Amino acid sequence: MEIGILSTIIFLPLLVGLLFLVLPFNATWTRNAAFGVSIVIFFLAIYIYMNFQPTGYIQLREYHPWIKSYGIYYSLGIDGFSLIVLMLIATLIPSAYLLLWDNGRPKSYWVSMLFIQAGISGTLFSLDLILFYFFWEAMLLPVFMIIGLFGTGNRVFSTLKVTIYTIMGSLLMFVSILYLGVAFYYEYGVWSFELGDLVQITTLGYETKVMLFLGFMVAFAIKIPLFPFHSWLLETYSNSPTGGVFLLSSIMAKLGAYALVRFMIPLFPDLFVEFSPYFVSLGIFGLVYFGIAAISQHNIKKMFAYSSASHLGFITAGIFSLNAHGMMGSAFLIVAHAMATGGLFLLQGVMERNLGIRSLDGLGGIAKKAPVFTLFFGIMVLCTVGIPGTNGFVAELLIVLGLFKYNPFAGIVAAVTVLVAASYMFLLFQKAILVRTDNDVSTMVDLQWKEILGLLPLTILIIGMGFYPDYFLYKVEPTIQHYLLDILHVGGR
Amino acid sequence: MNFLISFIVLIPLASAFFMGLLYMYSITRSPIPKGWFTLPALSAPLMSFGISVYFFVRLMEDATPITYRPYMWLSVDTYDVYMGFLADKLSIFMALFITFVGGLIHVYASAYMKDDAGYGKFFAYFNLFLSSMLLLVLADGPLIMFIGWEGVGLCSYLLISFYFEEPLNVVAGNKAFIVNRVGDMGFLIGLALLYFYCGDYGFDYASIEAKMASIPSWVIPMAGVMLFIGAMGKSAQIPLYVWLPDAMAGPTPVSALIHAATMVTAGVYMVTRFSFLYETIPDVGLFIAYIGAFSALFAALIATKQTDIKKILAYSTMSQLGYMFMAVGVGAYSSALFHVFTHAFFKALLFMGAGALIVMLHHEQNIFKMGQMRRFSPVVYVTMLIATLAIAGIPPFSGFFSKDEILLEVFASGHYALWLLGVATAMLSSYYMFRLFFVVFFGKNAHHEDGVHDVSLVMKLPLILLAVGALMSGFLGLPELLGGSHWMGSWLGEWGRRGLHVSHQTEWILIALNILVSLVGIGIAYVKFGQYDLRKMPAMKGVIAHKFYVDEFYDKLFVRPLSHLSEWFAIGVDVNKVDAIVMGLSRGFIRLGRLVAVVQNANVRLYAGVMILGISAMALYLIAIVR
Repeated sequence: MEIGILSTIIFLPLLVGLLFLVLPFNATWTRNAAFGVSIVIFFLAIYIYMNFQPTGYIQLREYHPWIKSYGIYYSLGIDGFSLIVLMLIATLIPSAYLLLWDNGRPKSYWVSMLFIQAGISGTLFSLDLILFYFFWEAMLLPVFMIIGLFGTGNRVFSTLKVTIYTIMGSLLMFVSILYLGVAFYYEYGVWSFELGDLVQITTLGYETKVMLFLGFMVAFAIKIPLFPFHSWLLETYSNSPTGGVFLLSSIMAKLGAYALVRFMIPLFPDLFVEFSPYFVSLGIFGLVYFGIAAISQHNIKKMFAYSSASHLGFITAGIFSLNAHGMMGSAFLIVAHAMATGGLFLLQGVMERNLGIRSLDGLGGIAKKAPVFTLFFGIMVLCTVGIPGTNGFVAELLIVLGLFKYNPFAGIVAAVTVLVAASYMFLLFQKAILVRTDNDVSTMVDLQWKEILGLLPLTILIIGMGFYPDYFLYKVEPTIQHYLLDILHVGGR
Repeated sequence: MNFLISFIVLIPLASAFFMGLLYMYSITRSPIPKGWFTLPALSAPLMSFGISVYFFVRLMEDATPITYRPYMWLSVDTYDVYMGFLADKLSIFMALFITFVGGLIHVYASAYMKDDAGYGKFFAYFNLFLSSMLLLVLADGPLIMFIGWEGVGLCSYLLISFYFEEPLNVVAGNKAFIVNRVGDMGFLIGLALLYFYCGDYGFDYASIEAKMASIPSWVIPMAGVMLFIGAMGKSAQIPLYVWLPDAMAGPTPVSALIHAATMVTAGVYMVTRFSFLYETIPDVGLFIAYIGAFSALFAALIATKQTDIKKILAYSTMSQLGYMFMAVGVGAYSSALFHVFTHAFFKALLFMGAGALIVMLHHEQNIFKMGQMRRFSPVVYVTMLIATLAIAGIPPFSGFFSKDEILLEVFASGHYALWLLGVATAMLSSYYMFRLFFVVFFGKNAHHEDGVHDVSLVMKLPLILLAVGALMSGFLGLPELLGGSHWMGSWLGEWGRRGLHVSHQTEWILIALNILVSLVGIGIAYVKFGQYDLRKMPAMKGVIAHKFYVDEFYDKLFVRPLSHLSEWFAIGVDVNKVDAIVMGLSRGFIRLGRLVAVVQNANVRLYAGVMILGISAMALYLIAIVR
């Protein structure tokens, strides 16, 4: 049996992880191996990107029977939207390793990281809903392990809370998936959970579809998170170790938004259009609400948590704007925000390693002590704020334009985005980094070459995508147009 | 050779990038001599200036706009936005004075900052600013302009909080950035409106202009107002001016370049650039003119009571910008640009003179602690006098010609209330400027603790050159009445002067009146401050001295409520409501669990029974499906 490139990306980290789990290698070797794996995947992703045809259709299909009697297939494939998330993950994870390099964690930490990468990739590529559900759940377990074992504060409680929270959501999704499968069986006489098959179901009544739609939505809304499903976020983020919070915020949350596009649009096109006003409103509300809540935070991680939620609200609004501008903006913001927030969480991790856990008021004067750190921190802040010349700007611009097209009033409200992030990010930068205080920050060490190397690709992409966005968007656009024209039947123009 | 337009922008950018890296190297590895920074820092504006001159010459021969579009910046559906540069008369006019005045301020700064540890960083930011500003004016469409627009805002932030260890500087930087962003929000809305109604197949100025006729009628005034809100922020007009006085926290060359000569004129440039749009909506134009007039008067009033030399100049900048908006509001674009041009010279000169005084007095900025400064530096004294006369509008100094022209245009437009506001402001301007001048250079019984030394030649040279500019630049727009041909007005072509509908006689009367009110202002200043005894400080009392309590008002209206709201969201809603419900639910489940726990009674027979039931059910199910 030939092993496809997508399978390689999923199973390479899984196998290496299992191997290192049973073999008596120490933590250092495990970490090096994990980093090596992430580099291999990075090059595989580049290879995929180069050979990806900018069409609207699924490419690199892999299709093998898994549990044949129930029509459950091992079915993988990517479209332009998956491609951009794949590139994101492939770039971010090696960077994360470089910044987490000397954190002195045991072997289980690095093995968990490997498993997480496998789970994420599987979630990203799956086209069979049961397979998707399997990876969706599987990628969470190692994250919970990392938080539960290596977190701080009341870590066991927050792990339990986030676990129950997300499992609640996932279960509703699982029920919806099963219902769809059964409905397909009744209509066509065979079992299948393949996305391409399930979209052909015609027998569902309106109320049923709404219930199923909401079943999926709750799972995604918890993962993203959308208001009011966010109450797990703060505790989890603030009690997670750097690696965990990095993965949660810059990758897993984005997968929630990604799944929204990939599954909700084909499965429920009419409901997607019908419910779009609610979710656009909810998204914009989240943008403002979480943004304002971030201002009064003294815990940096909590501020970033609110910041993430705020941006993800905006991403959701863009996805539901039903036009190419908004959806491409969301795709772009998924990337931009993952890089900026990922970078910020990793840098905050460096700060935490050097100075211990401190609130915003316990910091200050870092800029003098660690100029390189400050430079990178500053660039990430600017990207979060959406300064032109960074990809954050292009993304926010496109979403604002998309919302304008959706409804001028929504667009006007959404333009407030230029204020939201600026109001708390600059405050944070001022208090934690720039201004001199009486706090002792003498133990702060500036970034070393490894860490710089880790942040450099992100920085280059942030700026490169800001100055030449079209180069990165042209591979996505056909996919977006395909979703819009062929599935939603709303003109992209 | 069209690609050279992009080099006007790219050279300062490359220089900024290079110096940034060099600076990072110098502070992390080994120190680098300052000379390494000076060369790239000063050559960048010089080279950009040279290229601008080249295009200026080309446009002299052939006025056809020159464009250069290296690549597609963003293309969604059929909405194409190119990374495009445009050299036409307007943009090259702006580029010329930005690079020229900018270059002189660079020279001055190389001396002003010479003992500063952040020398390299300073010039990296400075050239980054120059690059953004040039992108703003040379962009061929509003979206690319917006990149420069926000870029200058960022550089302004970076340079205001240049000495970032002092909290007040960073607070001032944040304030500047956020207030500017309030304006940018308006700009963005205006941009989005234009984008959707005329961004199809090209979003450059020329295509927008061509598609003006097909835009629904409500869009144009809406877009016009929204874009102007952006200008209010950038050009410090009511109500978004509050950041400008605080921006003086930055080093003085920053105030000269960014907050006086160039960046703050971006709003005027923008409105001029969109003249094809604003000409169709004269009502919005009038709104702009009134905002300008009230800003001019308001700022001039505040300036009369300030004691910090840089803040006086900051308010005077805001006031002069008000004049420019009066002009663009009534459609007199070339007059506004003329004032932008002359103002760049004399205001940069005033700031740099102030900077020289501040250096001489070891960072004293209170004018009432200066006094007798004419003795210590004749060059600063004379050049400051020239600049003060220019801003006061005394002929033949440049400010006279440009201000007079604006007032004439406003008068000719028939909005006499507007004109009256302008004249009143003119009187106040000459009053507060000569108040500053008399106190600083003539104030008696000055007490200077340490030795006061004259500044170096490198600092004086730009002052002298700018003084020549402040003296001569007005002649480029010498009106026909005085035997000139108004070269600038005719060169600017489509933004040039229209015919005026006033008689020569009226024109003479207006000129005489302008000179008269200026002289009255100077006279009052002389009476009150000509022989001022510095041992008594003026009392800081009254509404004006407290800047009409606008900062306090904004604080009560926006800043505090926002922070209360933030706490309410985070604690009141999130913790006490949302999370409480979630945790309440889970506690409910626990209670439910206790109820159900009745079955969990260690009764092995019950367990076994339940197990058997479960297994049989599963088996039945399996049989059912395998069958």
